[in-house]
Amino acid sequence: MTAIQESIQKRAAELLESGEVTQVIAWTNGRFTNQTSPLFIQNAADAGKIVFNEYCVNTLAKYVLNEKIAGKVGVCVRGCEARGINRMIADNQLKREEVYLLGIPCEGMKDRETGEALDKCLTCTHKNPVVYDELLGAEVTDTVSEEIDKVRFAQIEAIEGMSREERLEYFNNVFNSCIRCYACREVCPVCTCRECFVDQLRAGWQGKQNNLNENRFYNLIRVFHIGDRCVECGECARACPMGLPLMELNRKWIRDLDELFAAGEEGLSDELDNTLGRYKTDDIEEFM
Amino acid sequence: MLLKKERLNDILTDMAKQARVYVPVSPDANDGGGVGKSGKAKMTRFELYSPGTAPNFDLVNTTMPPKDMLFPQTQKMYRYGFDTEGNAYIDIIHDSDEVVIFGMRSCDARSIECMDDVFLSMGYDDEFYKQRREKLATVAIGCASVAETCFCDSMGLDPNAAPGADVQLSPGVDGQSYVVVAQSEKGQALVASWQPYLEDSTAETTQVSCALKVNGDGLKDKLEQMFDHPIWEQLSKKCLTCGTCTYVCPTCHCFDISQENKMKDGERFRCWDSCMFSAYSEMAGNHNPRPTKMPRVRQRFMHKLCFFEDRYGKTLCVGCGRCVEKCPVALDITMLIDDIQAADLSKAEEVA
Repeated sequence: MTAIQESIQKRAAELLESGEVTQVIAWTNGRFTNQTSPLFIQNAADAGKIVFNEYCVNTLAKYVLNEKIAGKVGVCVRGCEARGINRMIADNQLKREEVYLLGIPCEGMKDRETGEALDKCLTCTHKNPVVYDELLGAEVTDTVSEEIDKVRFAQIEAIEGMSREERLEYFNNVFNSCIRCYACREVCPVCTCRECFVDQLRAGWQGKQNNLNENRFYNLIRVFHIGDRCVECGECARACPMGLPLMELNRKWIRDLDELFAAGEEGLSDELDNTLGRYKTDDIEEFM
Repeated sequence: MLLKKERLNDILTDMAKQARVYVPVSPDANDGGGVGKSGKAKMTRFELYSPGTAPNFDLVNTTMPPKDMLFPQTQKMYRYGFDTEGNAYIDIIHDSDEVVIFGMRSCDARSIECMDDVFLSMGYDDEFYKQRREKLATVAIGCASVAETCFCDSMGLDPNAAPGADVQLSPGVDGQSYVVVAQSEKGQALVASWQPYLEDSTAETTQVSCALKVNGDGLKDKLEQMFDHPIWEQLSKKCLTCGTCTYVCPTCHCFDISQENKMKDGERFRCWDSCMFSAYSEMAGNHNPRPTKMPRVRQRFMHKLCFFEDRYGKTLCVGCGRCVEKCPVALDITMLIDDIQAADLSKAEEVA
């Protein structure tokens, strides 16, 4: 990891020096032990602030949208960032030439509170970036997908195994605890609407009260809107200050789309291929 | 007076007969839940006590502050509409319950003083807040330990004493008891009602101080010259403009008033709002004076550390550390305070 950190620092400095990029997005140390925070540098002299260790929990993809306005952005990409970037390109939010991607193979990050593997990394299916301009470090081996899927869908299966009443109680507990800070929306690389339905106050889709109904409505619509585009970076659940299991809602979609339409994983390429936005003559039609 | 910890449940049960009593609770203590089992949040908060509730007075701080009891996230204000004879009516919704918050920390007690300034001073009393405030009694417990994110003593508070609370409980060094001191008339009445459970003795109490220190001196004066400083542009880059910091903050008190109508009737309510949201500052005709992240982030910290002190003579940050702990991108107000103290003011002049 130290070697990767040095490579990022060196390449960031060179890219800024040569003017190839106007800015590099990476990580730096936070105040506390084992804490990092996103870093934005514009000068080669600041490259020494860049840190890469096993506590780089933030997925940086979403930042590119705001920062590209000032010119080409260099950004560190692991599997999760790379898939987010691909998805943003597919969604026409970003052009490939607007970013310079410093690829980083990643063995998974740790939770600073427990020192254990970070939840979102336990279900990671792409430890190596799926798109990059250069790779800083040797590729690592992905966990066998059958092994990952046991973890990935374990909670979905547990929820599916509940009775109707138990399931209602489970989701009421989840939605009752939501404070609607919208961290899940802001951090999500596929939540890229310029104006979110939540903020369309005159249309009034989303009421402003905090109660079970409004919270349920927000969370379900969030999942519907992400729909077939989730890249499974897990940032929604990580960012949630209430620790709500938000990825489980997304995973239910992912699993259903897989089973019904063989949708596959999102963000592996920057080609637009929305499972729900295309029609194939051999699509499953059980209900017709 | 001395209160043994084993008598706490007796006191709470007694009080719960007269008032709504809120105590810090971690969900695990009650149902062994947590995410993955019951869907309940991993967070901790003040919850209504009833016999059987297991309060957790060892939590340094609850995830959610107790401000909800005074200033609910959604508060219904009045109902309106037309009655069967076609006459318009307005029914104001009153809260009439006595409330006790038991087990708050010094930071939370100070946050109520801040909210009192906002809602009950400068010539205007907010009647919805006032109603709840008059029926509220607070019992503070001195901190027996501090979290790494605690920095209240840098913001002029004392983790061992909350002068704004009605009753102060100070943990004894033996870990088995609290020294009880009533600090107001309400407090005296409460302590009088606990008499059967108190002992007429005293004990040596713990004294803690925060590990995290920042220099809070002169922040307001410096910030007054930093409105146009480049520090804000750089700082705001990492901000997601979610509302986490404002919603976990015990002193953030901004709200929006809205209503919902059904047929001939409707309800008007107010609910928490956040200066981090774009819609917060949006005006009629879609003009937004804070159109991007930078002015929103600047507003939040300026309000905490400069504007509020200007108006009410105290800082709006009580050093509880909740935002420091919960910010998804580790945008840390204590690091910002360091940066402000280190900032070169000549840069601000260049920009201006």
